[in-house]
Amino acid sequence: MSGAPGDEIIGIKSRDAAEGKRGWRLRPRGVFRAVVIGVPYLWLVALFLVPFLIVVKISLSQVVVAMPPYQPTFGDVASWWAGLKQLSLENYRWIAGDDLYFDAYVLSLAIAAGATLLTLLIAYPLAYGIAKASPAWRTTLVMLVILPFWTSFLIRVYAWIAILKPEGLFNQLLLFLGVIDQPLVILNTPVAIFIGIVYSYLPFMTLPIYASLERMDHSLTEAAADLGSPPLKSFWTITFPLSLPGVVAGCFLVFIPATGEFVIPDLLGGSRTLMIGKTVWLEFFTNRDWPVASAVAVVLVALLVVPIALFQRQQARAG
Amino acid sequence: MKSLGSIRSDFAPWLDKSAVPFIRFEGVTKRFGSFEAVDDLSLSIYEGEFFALLGASGCGKSTLLRMLAGFEAPSEGRIILDGEDLAGIPPYRRPVNMMFQSYALFPHMSVAKNIAFGLKQEGMAKADIAERVEQVLKLVKLEDYAKRKPDQLSGGQRQRVALARSLAKRPKVLLLDEPLGALDKKLREETQFELADLQNQLGTTFIMVTHDQEEAMTLACRIAVMDKGQILQVATPTEIYEAPNSRFVADFVGNVNVFEGTVRSVNGECITIETTAGLDIAAKSEAPVTAGDNVAYVLRPEKLKIAVEPIGGPNVMEGEVWDIAYFGPVTSFHIRLDNGMIVKVAMVNATREGPLQLTWHDRVFVQFDEDAGLVMTV
Repeated sequence: MSGAPGDEIIGIKSRDAAEGKRGWRLRPRGVFRAVVIGVPYLWLVALFLVPFLIVVKISLSQVVVAMPPYQPTFGDVASWWAGLKQLSLENYRWIAGDDLYFDAYVLSLAIAAGATLLTLLIAYPLAYGIAKASPAWRTTLVMLVILPFWTSFLIRVYAWIAILKPEGLFNQLLLFLGVIDQPLVILNTPVAIFIGIVYSYLPFMTLPIYASLERMDHSLTEAAADLGSPPLKSFWTITFPLSLPGVVAGCFLVFIPATGEFVIPDLLGGSRTLMIGKTVWLEFFTNRDWPVASAVAVVLVALLVVPIALFQRQQARAG
Repeated sequence: MKSLGSIRSDFAPWLDKSAVPFIRFEGVTKRFGSFEAVDDLSLSIYEGEFFALLGASGCGKSTLLRMLAGFEAPSEGRIILDGEDLAGIPPYRRPVNMMFQSYALFPHMSVAKNIAFGLKQEGMAKADIAERVEQVLKLVKLEDYAKRKPDQLSGGQRQRVALARSLAKRPKVLLLDEPLGALDKKLREETQFELADLQNQLGTTFIMVTHDQEEAMTLACRIAVMDKGQILQVATPTEIYEAPNSRFVADFVGNVNVFEGTVRSVNGECITIETTAGLDIAAKSEAPVTAGDNVAYVLRPEKLKIAVEPIGGPNVMEGEVWDIAYFGPVTSFHIRLDNGMIVKVAMVNATREGPLQLTWHDRVFVQFDEDAGLVMTV
């Protein structure tokens, strides 16, 4: 067999192979490219797409008292066709028919949106302050923003219980200062969830905004001033619009995980505030209804895919 | 004063004793911590002038410009513009506009919006803004680019937009911070002439900061040479080049040969200098000197003549061609004199063959007249 058809198979045109040297150079580079791109794709397929498809499949199954607690299981190849016919949208109909799920979705989205806005209002001035600090200070200040990550997320949320409970540090401080004479009920209310989310996700909002403000050319605001614009007006016409990519990135980095947040509402929000993360947990562990839990999770993913798609489009446009 | 050079201009308000300066720096000092960027500096600039602040980086020229724009406040002294003390007036209320070195175009706005930005701040009517934008775009020949964003323009086009934006408000003074610094050589030469024409046409006072002596010489009516926060000389380009008041200015603007020595005899204007290298130089001195004074004779390379045969006249020296640099219009020779000193000689290539067919290690004669150089007291 001649060399040309073999070369065709590994993606090199025979014309290049005939030129010898050039063919040699192209081949390792092509392989290198494929490896570099292939590894992260394989990673995503193995650790995101496959598990997600398994969850989708479970969401289309029926609950049974067995191990695993659903069927069909597709254990052997022979029963695949019969198993496929058993899959149905029954669990999705169930979710649509019960207000509990609808309310949990709406509440989760509302809390996530509100908390995102609050985080933005706190993070923007913070990021602005850091970006305007002297270069020597900037590194230290950015370190301080990242510092909480050195402690476990769970421990930090637990610490808030000690701060917010009726006999906790916050109430004791207010009582000591004479601001209040009865302890405030904060723990186990939506207020505590907001505090928890804003606290936990602040770095995710601060860092992208800081990044966009820090790389902004200082002479732009000087030029605005030079052309007759007072500082506050320059902020709204120049600085803020140019930091929007950072603001959008930060908002999605907070909003998306906050919507499905489980730990914070569970530990700080009490039993009356039922967010969607908690709903999945209850279906899964208390009711042992894996199919409904999976369906709830799939719907959540679908709800969040829309903002993610918007985010990616915005990023693509900015790049 | 003796008239120098070949460029005549009727515009010279600085020679008119009754003329009132448009901008006055009075004893201005600016300190950043313990560093004095500008040191007790006084300067007058007249209306309609194209003024250049020339100096190496860190000499304080940009600080001076930024104080005029209002981005820095003087530590001491006053800045007066058109009779008004600028102290305490924020940049957004000053009747000056600046063209930034980085151009500082707003990346999220189109060319037209960039130019309209300053006019909007004035509260100008929309129709008037549109008209003015069109007008300045025409001025910089960018009518077709109004809708483009800055990142869709070439470097030269961005430079024009920056210029148009700073001119749109019709400022009393236009400040230019290294206006041509980011352009390549060819484009810079073209733009120099356009900028000079524009200033002529508008009559606006332009103040330019530059480290490029050629740029300052081509554009400016007067140049202030700065070093270490102080002004060393303020004069027209010809005076700066032909009659520098110090060795620093002579050395900073153009090339020089410096012969150091002592005055041996004085006969009216004519003096003899005995140089430390053991040469005798016959020179004419404008400055009064007496025998025994330590002086430097400063000589531009193009004021020397070079010959292969022995030549007459004063100050003939013999040497060897040490180095040749061919620039096209001129050729620069380094001649090693027999006493070991290296002299720079520039020759115009008036013919295609070049005036002399010289090569490395040729024996040559170098000659210059008594008034070719400048006697400077040390």
